[in-house]
Amino acid sequence: MSVETGQASRGSANEVARVVETLARDFGERAKTGDAVRTQHARGEGLPDPALPDVVVYPHDNDEVAGIVRLCHAARVPVIAFGVGTSLEGHVAALHGGVCVDLSEMNRVLEINADDLDCRVQAGVTREQLNAELKGTGLFFPIDPGANATLGGMASTRASGTNAVRYGTMRENVLGLTVVTADGRIVHTGGRARKSSAGYDLTRLFVGAEGTLGVITEIQLRLYGVPEAISAAVCQFPDLKAAVGAVIVAMQMGIPLARIELLDALQMEACIRYSKLDGYEAKPTLLFEFHGSEAGVKEQAEAMERIAADHAGSAFQWATQAEDRSRLWKARHNAYYAALALSPGRQAFSTDACVPISRLADCLLETRAELDREGAIATIVGHVGDGNFHVLLLFDPASKAERAKAEAIAQSVSLRAIGMGGTCTGEHGVGIHKLGALVAEHGEAVDLMRAIKRALDPLDIMNPGKTVPR
Amino acid sequence: MTATTLEALCARVRDAAATNTALRIRGGGTKDFYGGALEGEVLATTDHAGIVDYEPTELVLTARAGTPLATIESEMRAHGQMLAFEPPHFGAAATLGGAVATGLAGPRRPYAGAVRDLVLGVSIVDGTGEALSFGGRVMKNVAGFDVSRLMVGALGTLGVITEVSLKCLPLPKHEVTVAFALSADEAIRRVNEWGGQPLPLSATAYHDGQLRVRLSGAQPAVDAAVRKLGGDADPAADAFWTAVREHTHPFFAAVGERVLWRLTVRPTAPFTDLGGEQFIEWGGGLRWMVDSDRVDAGKLRTWVAAQGGHATRFRGGTCSGDVFHPLPAVLARLHARLATVFDPRGILNRGRFVPLR
Repeated sequence: MSVETGQASRGSANEVARVVETLARDFGERAKTGDAVRTQHARGEGLPDPALPDVVVYPHDNDEVAGIVRLCHAARVPVIAFGVGTSLEGHVAALHGGVCVDLSEMNRVLEINADDLDCRVQAGVTREQLNAELKGTGLFFPIDPGANATLGGMASTRASGTNAVRYGTMRENVLGLTVVTADGRIVHTGGRARKSSAGYDLTRLFVGAEGTLGVITEIQLRLYGVPEAISAAVCQFPDLKAAVGAVIVAMQMGIPLARIELLDALQMEACIRYSKLDGYEAKPTLLFEFHGSEAGVKEQAEAMERIAADHAGSAFQWATQAEDRSRLWKARHNAYYAALALSPGRQAFSTDACVPISRLADCLLETRAELDREGAIATIVGHVGDGNFHVLLLFDPASKAERAKAEAIAQSVSLRAIGMGGTCTGEHGVGIHKLGALVAEHGEAVDLMRAIKRALDPLDIMNPGKTVPR
Repeated sequence: MTATTLEALCARVRDAAATNTALRIRGGGTKDFYGGALEGEVLATTDHAGIVDYEPTELVLTARAGTPLATIESEMRAHGQMLAFEPPHFGAAATLGGAVATGLAGPRRPYAGAVRDLVLGVSIVDGTGEALSFGGRVMKNVAGFDVSRLMVGALGTLGVITEVSLKCLPLPKHEVTVAFALSADEAIRRVNEWGGQPLPLSATAYHDGQLRVRLSGAQPAVDAAVRKLGGDADPAADAFWTAVREHTHPFFAAVGERVLWRLTVRPTAPFTDLGGEQFIEWGGGLRWMVDSDRVDAGKLRTWVAAQGGHATRFRGGTCSGDVFHPLPAVLARLHARLATVFDPRGILNRGRFVPLR
C-alpha cells in the first residue's frame, strides 16, 4: 500500500502479508482469508459499497484482541471491528484493507447482577441473545434498533431505536467498557456505579466512536425491570402535521411513552400490503406503546387518546395481547422490506435526520414535497418523540443516475435538518456516507475531532477513513 | 454585548496561552472547594450570562455559562418544567457553567438522568482561545465524537464552557415522599428491589435508621405505588430533598472541618462493610461518608474499587493530589493525551482535576 500525503504511512503489502501469516499461525482456523468470508465482511447494510479486508480473524477474549491490535500496530495495518454487519453507513468497509476483527465468537454474557440492575457482556452478544438470557430474571435490555445487532456494534454506533424516548440510547445505558486501544492495551472505563468515571468520561467518548479510537470488547449495561403492564395502540391522522402536533403535546406533558413511531401515508400503504394489516387506511399513522404498572399504563393511554382526539386522530385501535403487539411491531420493523416491495428489483437506503421537535412537521412536509417533486419512490418512518425520522429512498442499482439522484436527495435532507438546528444523523452514525454532512454540521469543531483521533490513534489504524473526515 | 463577552473570553485565553499563564475559571465560585488546589488568575464567566433560547414546547433551553442556576430554574418552573438532574447550588451565585463543569447532580439523578444525559450541546473556548461548539439542540445526535459529554465533569480542564443546551423535563404532576424505619442494609435491599419494578421512584435517601422514598408522576400511578409500598407520608418532604441536595441537612452540617467522602458504588454494595457515619442516596449508588479515625483512604479506595466505583474527597482536608480516585497508568496516559488536544499548554484550571501532567 502506498504512503498517503499528510498521513501516517501504512504497512506495505509485505507487512500486511506477514500480519496475515502470523494470524494464520496463531489463530489457525479462526483466521480466514477466503474470498467468500472477506466479501461477507466487506460491507454492512445500507448503500452497497464493499471494500474487502485482507483477513478476518475471530478472537475469543480481550487478550486475543489486544494481541491482534498490537500486531497491527507494529506493522501499521488497519483494524476493523465487526459484529454482525448491520450498520448502515459503510462503517465496516475495509477501505484500506487490513484485519477485520469479527467479534461474533466473543458472545458470552459474563455477569448478570439482577439486584444491581446491570450486566456485563462480551461485544459479540446480540441484543436478542441478551434478552433471551435475561428471561426469568424479570429484567430486560430495552434498546432496540430493529436489527439483531451485537451490543459491541450498538455501543460503537451509539445506537437507539424505537424505545429511546423512555429508556434513552446506548449513550445513557452503557455503564462501562473494556476497550483495546490503538496500541493494543486493554483499558476499562466506567464501572458498575451509576456515576462511574473517576476522570474524563471516556466511556462516552468510545461509545459512538465507530471503532475509530479503539475496539470495544466488553460492555457493562444498565438493565430494566420488565414492565408489569404493556399495551400498544394505533392511531391514524388526516395529515402529517396533525400527527406530529399530537406527539409534541404528549412530550410536553411528560407522558412516559415507551415508543411512538410515525409512518407516512405511503409507508402505511406499504405495510398494510406487506404485513397484511387489516382495518387500517393509508394515512399518516402513529404507533404507541405504553409501559408501566397497570394504573400507570391506563392513565398514560387515556391521556394520549385525549391528545390524539384533539388533533383529529382516529379512535385508538388497541393491541393488548402480546401476539397482537408483536405483529404490530414486526410490521414496523419490516417497514424497510415493505417499502422495497413497492418496487421489486430496486434497493433502498435510509436517511437519518433529527431536528428540534418544533421543526419536525416543517421538515417532514418540506421533505415530502421534495420527494414528490423529484418523483422519488420513498417512504418516511420516524421515531417522532425524538425528532428523528428516516426517508427510505428506493433506487435501481443498475442505474447510476437513479442512485445519484437518491443520494442527492439524502444530502438535501441532511442539509435541511442541519439548517433547522438539527443533525444529519440521529442514530445511524457517520461511517463513510456522512463525512461531508459532518463538516457542514460542525464546521471548525471537526478539526478538534480530528485532533482527538490523532491523539488516540496516531498511526490511523483503527477503522481508518470513518467518522471524522481527513 | 454578549458577542463581546465571548470575544473577551477568547482574547483572555489566547493571551494566557501566549504567556503560559494559568487561568482559574470561575462562575459563582460556589464549588471552589471541589477538586484540587486552585491555581492561576481568575477567569470570570459571570459576565457571559443570559438565556439564549428557551422554547418550552421544544423541551430545550440554551443559556450562557454565567447564567445563575436559580434564574434558569425559575424560568423553567414558570413553564412547568425542570432541570431534572437537580443540580446542587451550594450558594445563590451558582452558575450553569459550574454545574456542567463539576457534573454534580442531586437526588433525582438515577431516575431522571445525569448531567451528561441531559446535556445536548456545549460551546467552549479551548486552551488556545478558539471558540468551538459541539452537539446541538436535538435529542439524539451521533454525528462524530461525543465531545459535549466529555466536558461534563471535566472541571474546566478541557475548555472554558461558554454555552450549554439542556434537555428540560416536565415537572411531575404529583409527588409524594414516604418514610420507613429500617436498618441500612435492609433499606438498600428494598430500594433496589423496588428499582426493578414499574414504580415511579424519583429519589431515595437513607440516614440514621430512616429511609425516605420519593415517588413522582401522574397521580394514579403515584397513589398506586404508595399503596404498594406503605410507609408514612412525609409532609415536609420538599424541604427535606432541598436540604439533601444543598447539603444543609443536619448530616452534612455536622461534618464541620472534617473530610466528607463521596463514594459512588454499585447500588447493592453492603453498608456494613464500612459502617460509620453515612448518608445514602441514589438507591444505594451514592454514599456520603464522614471521615473519622477509622477511615483509611487507601483501604476505602480499595473497597470502593471492588464495588465497581470510586471515592472522591469531596470537601475538607487539604487540596493535595488524592482528592480524586487515582487512575491506572494506561488511563492516565489517555487523559493526558486528550487534555493536550484541548489545552496544549495546560493553562486551564491547572491542578484542579486528576493529576494530568
